[in-house]
Amino acid sequence: MDRTVIGLFQYVDNMLDAAHRLKNAGYKITMFSPVPIGHEIEESLGERPNYIKWFALAGCLAGTGFGVLLTLGTAAMYVLPRGGRPLFSVTPTLLMAYETTILFGVILTLLGFLLFTRLPSWKTKPYVEAVNIDSFGLMVDNIGKNKRAEVEGIMKEFGATEVVNKLD
Amino acid sequence: MAEENTNNELTYKEVNVDVVNTMTKTGLGYYVLLGCAVSGFLGFWIVPWIIQIYYGQGITGLNTPNFWGIYLTNFVFWIGISHSGTLLSAILFITKTPWRRSIYRSAEAMTFFSVLTAAIFIFVHMGRPWNFYWTMPYPNTRQLWLNFQSPLMFDVFAISAYMTSSVIFLYFGSIPDLAAVRDRVTGWRKEVYTVLALGWRGTDSEWHWLYKAYTFFAVFIIPLAVSVHSIVSWDFALSKVPGLSKTIFAPYFVVGAIYSGSAGIVTLMLAFRKALKLEKYITLLHFDKLCLLLLVMSLLWSYINVVEVFTGWYANTSAENETLIFRMLTKPYAYMYWLMILTNTVMPLLFIYKGFRRNIYIALIVSVGINVGMWIERYLILTTSLPRKFLPYMWHEYIPSLAEISVTLGSFCFFTMLFLLFIKLWPSVSIYEVKEDIGIPFSSNKRK
Repeated sequence: MDRTVIGLFQYVDNMLDAAHRLKNAGYKITMFSPVPIGHEIEESLGERPNYIKWFALAGCLAGTGFGVLLTLGTAAMYVLPRGGRPLFSVTPTLLMAYETTILFGVILTLLGFLLFTRLPSWKTKPYVEAVNIDSFGLMVDNIGKNKRAEVEGIMKEFGATEVVNKLD
Repeated sequence: MAEENTNNELTYKEVNVDVVNTMTKTGLGYYVLLGCAVSGFLGFWIVPWIIQIYYGQGITGLNTPNFWGIYLTNFVFWIGISHSGTLLSAILFITKTPWRRSIYRSAEAMTFFSVLTAAIFIFVHMGRPWNFYWTMPYPNTRQLWLNFQSPLMFDVFAISAYMTSSVIFLYFGSIPDLAAVRDRVTGWRKEVYTVLALGWRGTDSEWHWLYKAYTFFAVFIIPLAVSVHSIVSWDFALSKVPGLSKTIFAPYFVVGAIYSGSAGIVTLMLAFRKALKLEKYITLLHFDKLCLLLLVMSLLWSYINVVEVFTGWYANTSAENETLIFRMLTKPYAYMYWLMILTNTVMPLLFIYKGFRRNIYIALIVSVGINVGMWIERYLILTTSLPRKFLPYMWHEYIPSLAEISVTLGSFCFFTMLFLLFIKLWPSVSIYEVKEDIGIPFSSNKRK
């Protein structure tokens, strides 16, 4: 049966060194931390892509289109003459588009986040509560029984204070 | 930079314990205060509102030509209060200002609650609130859609967008902390926070996307907040009424909003830190920085006021002169005007001296004074313009009725009630950002 091993570390650099070693040995790793350590991870393991920006851009473009269509479409479909003033007025169209651009940008950014993190997810997944308090966690999953000792050894070599085994 | 790090004597574990304790340990004083706030909300707001709905707008002081009175004063006031929470949080996040971390969560909550209070005032102001859906774009048999050339329609969209974005910003930034609470509580709380935390585990991937998305939210929020109060100002400035039709209104309102919102944060933080014993987290450094911000905003606000008076004086039209004289030199408005100048221009000058910025009593008095002044400002804008239009036969004095005064008091009770509920149901101090402030532990015994 495949197993998941989570090593708990007191110091972030110890965890990153262990992660580096395990990654080079071909294991699939996941790191846990109680604080954002993106900068430290990128320094140690390389830069990660930022696809969220495309969601933000798509949201903004959709929002601009929606705002323009709503304002001009309303004026076209329900004609409301106002003493010789233009039916299609630029100022309110820009204002409405400005608001909907931002609103849609926010909503699609949120959707992008949920998509990439696969949240919400209430299924039970390997997790140790200490990583949300004061420990840094390094998880290696889908490891066969014969490899478990090697993974645990590497984690302990780099200063893991505790190694937790979980069955997949 | 040592001074910038506000929480370096705390441990990670202590932060989790302290913040969760603010939610789970509740004294009698809390229930008494909550009971007063709920009673005040029901008695001062809901009851007069029901009476007003039953008897109609006739029980208010609103009448020709004063169609806009104290309700819209409150609307602008609460929208203004909302402006510093999310906006300040977003600006300080982008500029990576460390002292933001302990205070931003409750400041963002303040934004949401005050926007909500403001939005309800639109309904209170409506004669027939059940027809609110007429402001929504939907095809209907009347063959009449919304007139998007009205600034009131800009308002509907701007405020809806701001409220939605503020809620997302608040909730999104709280997800890791909701997970931390989930891990420490039991019973019904465990179930609630399990759902709210969305299954957050604090993986590198979750943090990576959270940080990227949060940065975008912060970038979106800033222009949105600026646009909202500009649009609120256009409700007035796009009219042809002396005292309202001014090009300076948009920046004037935005500056005023940030000013009153920042003062609101100072008042709230002083009460909040004392009540929840959070002196370790919200330190004198926070008040020093916030009071410095108040000083800067006070100078800006005062400058715009001077410009407003001088441009009116320079225009030298009878209508402008009449409005200025009525507002600044005629009783009872003159008392209010000069009280506003005292609280919003003169008193904040105390903050030039660092000792006063770090004195919580001075900070409390000045911040409450600023918001009294900012409420007066909005009241004067409305009540000294609509009743004094171009032709004297239209002149009519506005006197708010008991119902309007009661609903105004009720709105403060409503806001207090929401905030009291918030501090017991939500981690009101950001756990993970305070930990960032403490520093990330490295094996070389240094914190980065």
